[in-house]
Amino acid sequence: MATVQEISDETSFASTVSALPSSTLAVIYFHAPWAAPCKQMGTVLSALASTYSTDAPVSFLSVNAEELPDVSEQYDVTAVPYIVLQKDNKTLETISGSDAAKVRAAVEKYAGPASGDASKAGIPPPQTVTKQAPPQAGENDGPSRDLSGYAPSPTDPKTAPEYSSGEPTNKEELFKRLGELVKAAPVMLFMKGTPSAPQCGFSRQTVGILREKGVRYGFFNILADDEVRQGLKEFADWPTFPQLWVGGELVGGLDIVREEFENDPEFLKEYSVSGQKAQAA
Amino acid sequence: MAQSMTPMEDAMRAKITEALKPTTLDIYNDSHLHSHHKAMQGVTSKETHFRAIITSEAFKGKMQPARHRMVYSLLKDEMAQEGGIHALQLRTRTPEEEEKQKQKEAQE
Repeated sequence: MATVQEISDETSFASTVSALPSSTLAVIYFHAPWAAPCKQMGTVLSALASTYSTDAPVSFLSVNAEELPDVSEQYDVTAVPYIVLQKDNKTLETISGSDAAKVRAAVEKYAGPASGDASKAGIPPPQTVTKQAPPQAGENDGPSRDLSGYAPSPTDPKTAPEYSSGEPTNKEELFKRLGELVKAAPVMLFMKGTPSAPQCGFSRQTVGILREKGVRYGFFNILADDEVRQGLKEFADWPTFPQLWVGGELVGGLDIVREEFENDPEFLKEYSVSGQKAQAA
Repeated sequence: MAQSMTPMEDAMRAKITEALKPTTLDIYNDSHLHSHHKAMQGVTSKETHFRAIITSEAFKGKMQPARHRMVYSLLKDEMAQEGGIHALQLRTRTPEEEEKQKQKEAQE
């Protein structure tokens, strides 16, 4: 009975994939431990894998997207869970999100149906993910929901500052904390998700622009900390995310950041990788 | 009188016009571009994501964040309500800035 193989580093990924015969379908599953829909998809995949015999022409590989950033970039992974089906190093299909039925259909399409009696196969019926996945409430939302599924793993980059402990803090303490938080780095981005896995189109675009300009910045995933998320809206008197802060001052959201760069190509130059190299010289 | 199909947009237009007396006010409804997003599951409103281009003298002497805040405060209720405005992209310029940009574009 086939199982899902966890790939722990870049070299083993490369060697595992190249070792596969060209007729074998590789099902590569990109995940992040802090994203709840990924736990769901992980279970689905193990169950799906178990319905194939060990010598079936299909191989299930699990990749922690944040631990293997180069592989993630190679496959252009921007959100998890993300599944790539490839044969002979050619990508056949990609599935973004957590639609179990879609994944099963795609695997069957390329690798043939699972061996054994399909009706007795152990694949659990596709479960709707909507209730379990922490929903992304809007940029400016109403009631807060349980976002603990979005908490960061220890492997998240250290630029992410500490998250609220979960105990309610009084307003003054919160604002004091926020005051420090916005100065945690000379350039701070408060976004939905992380730079390697943004959870919102506007956050993703902002990360893209900063990367393009080579700007060094600290980030904070507001989906993982509801206290900061709501508190910062009041602290900044700004209802939406992403929020870019420079030198402890709010610059604005995506549209303002874009405009600043359009009007001034030197914007944030002193915080960019090239700018700092010049200073060190 | 028939009920408007775009109450949110109407409210936006009315409030911005009254408060800022804009010389240019273009409002684009981008909701259909985002309706399939996970965050929008279960939302029936067709007026969730907007893009507004506003030119007004009232923006003179103010930095971009301050200008955006002016618009945000006008639409505070619409943005706070459930199923209200979820995302708002803004372009806020003074008449002089709009003119300068038009000239730049004409030259290119």
